[in-house]
Amino acid sequence: MRRMDLAEIKHLLVNNDLGFWPELVTLTQQATGFDELLFLSSLRKKAEVHGLKHPRADDKRLRLAIVGGYSLYPLHDLLTHLLEVEGVACELFLGDYDNYQAEIMDAGGLLYKFQPEVVCVLPGAQRCKYPGALSDPREVVQAAVDAVAAQLLDLSRIIHEHTGAEVVLCNFILPARHDLGTFRTRTPGSDWNFRKRVNMELGLNAPSFVRICDLEFLAHRHGALAAEDARGWFESKQLCAPDLLVEVCRELARLILALRRPPKKLLVLDLDNTLWGGTVADDGLEGIELGDTSPRGEAFKAFQKYIVSLKDRGVLLAVCSKNDFASVQAVFERHPEMVLRPSDFVAFKANWEPKSHNIRQIAAELNLGLDSLVFVDDNPAEIDIVRQFAPEVTTILLGADPAEYVGQLQDCRMFEPHSITAEDVERTGQYRAEKERQTLLASVTDMDAYLASLAMEATITEFVSVDTPRLSQLINKSNQFNLTTHRRTEAEVHSLINSPDYICFSVRLNDRFGDHGLISIVIGRAHGEALEIDTWLMSCRVLKRQVEETVLNELARLALAKGCTRLEGVYLATPKNGMVRDFYPRMGFQTKSETTERGEFTLELKGFQPQATRIIVTHHAYDPS
Amino acid sequence: MTQVEVLAKLQLIFDDVFLEPPKLTPQLTAKEVPEWDSLLHISLLLAVEKAFGIRFRVGEVEGTKTVGEFADLIARRMMER
Repeated sequence: MRRMDLAEIKHLLVNNDLGFWPELVTLTQQATGFDELLFLSSLRKKAEVHGLKHPRADDKRLRLAIVGGYSLYPLHDLLTHLLEVEGVACELFLGDYDNYQAEIMDAGGLLYKFQPEVVCVLPGAQRCKYPGALSDPREVVQAAVDAVAAQLLDLSRIIHEHTGAEVVLCNFILPARHDLGTFRTRTPGSDWNFRKRVNMELGLNAPSFVRICDLEFLAHRHGALAAEDARGWFESKQLCAPDLLVEVCRELARLILALRRPPKKLLVLDLDNTLWGGTVADDGLEGIELGDTSPRGEAFKAFQKYIVSLKDRGVLLAVCSKNDFASVQAVFERHPEMVLRPSDFVAFKANWEPKSHNIRQIAAELNLGLDSLVFVDDNPAEIDIVRQFAPEVTTILLGADPAEYVGQLQDCRMFEPHSITAEDVERTGQYRAEKERQTLLASVTDMDAYLASLAMEATITEFVSVDTPRLSQLINKSNQFNLTTHRRTEAEVHSLINSPDYICFSVRLNDRFGDHGLISIVIGRAHGEALEIDTWLMSCRVLKRQVEETVLNELARLALAKGCTRLEGVYLATPKNGMVRDFYPRMGFQTKSETTERGEFTLELKGFQPQATRIIVTHHAYDPS
Repeated sequence: MTQVEVLAKLQLIFDDVFLEPPKLTPQLTAKEVPEWDSLLHISLLLAVEKAFGIRFRVGEVEGTKTVGEFADLIARRMMER
């Protein structure tokens, strides 16, 4: 941080200038040093004392508990600072130093009285040590490894069962010293091998409500020796060196925010000097640099391979290039070193329109929000036009050296899966099948005949544990066809399973072109004679396919079975869900009250007749058979 | 460096770190400065180590009671470089 910035932000604060907050956010994002961040944090607290309130500050505070085998000071201060500048204010519970096991085991204790929504656990590395002899056999050491990992995962499970909270569990930093020499790797009981294996077991066995904060990786990235701070340990029981602590807190903040924010869906790529070296228009098909004949060509090819790997884990790809369509097409079809194929893309724009315009069109065609797009280009001018005219899109300006492209994308942190579900991998196929359906729709004029020709089958299932990652994913990313936009973490979804007052189900749909996967979710709560619809959402890919009617039929059936006589629905307006403003009236509900922000609707179930649809329901929710 | 010289350089660091920087004297203690809490203390120590190019040994900063003693400690550590 430059002294000028420092003077500037102090000046803004002293003058109660609202420009203080954006400046604080920028400096916080740029800060790498521990002292810089601590200083910014103390400025933030002073601003609050001065009555300079964060403009985005939420009234709802996140109930965050931190417990562990280290001093949680000043870690908690950095962490809350990072969360607060992102608009997430915290109510904090701090465990006592190295008292986390007791705190977690004590069912009536302060931790549980606090009712945390997220609990960060930082187990002490001093407990991750093999107590036996270095020469002990591998099986004996492995049993000790398993016991340490199982104990930590048990503690996490206990927290989750008491509170429904998400748990962020830190693993262990590896030693940085030469101690033991070659026997460091040759003996299973060395600290080096032992901690590595515990970390691996933690990661591989963590249930879905546990996020691992990978300290081993963060310290490795930071540099093992630089990560160590013996003085900090002896003086005040610090976890690690101050500058690494900044990285750890950034990661913790990211994990906590990611519970509430969906990852990006679509990667939009430039072509010239992004996927290959040179420009097709000038250099021609033969002149572009791509492939193993030159180091530069090899770098571009490696970049394409990495992009394919993103696609394989569920990221959608699109092209947006200022180019002549035919010559670009020729590269994709005829260049022998091309890794990416036209079929890898769900949208392809090569024309002379401004890129911001093309990108908006791509989003509209695919029914995606602009904020789920990431645009990559090597040209700062193109990046700038998108930043200006489609500011919701995240942009990545590639650096000068194609050798660094892969690393740049690997570090962009936009496409990290919350959980890897089978549907993710299928997604490109689903979007392509959608295009084929559109073609069929264009050829059939009678809507009913079209729907019949799709041969749709729906499977309706009550919430089950195996579905929770996908359920929570859809609950957190669905914006448009979403009546209330109530978000829920995996833990919160999980807590609804077998909950007696609730009716919760999801719908999977397939047709003769392919499997849509899980596309609709309903959460209802029985309250006397009413079934209150807490959540009704649907993927826009299946709009106008009679899924809505199928869901209503199911909901009415289940409500009646629970002894309810009416359905009560509410619409909560957001900037994105205008398409369902009149959804309930369209489905036959009576309007009870309506304002621009909120509508309340009711449907009497006496004499309810299920609506006929072209969807065959092959399985119903809560069906004992 | 003499204590006076160290104090002069320290004053610049305090001016950066504090909103209302105290005027440093050898007798001053942290308790007398409301803004000087434990969080600020940590950033102060790191800033001092950076600015003077020194590293304190374990536990020794805790042993200094006044700004004057702290300045003397800085001077001693600088002699070793």
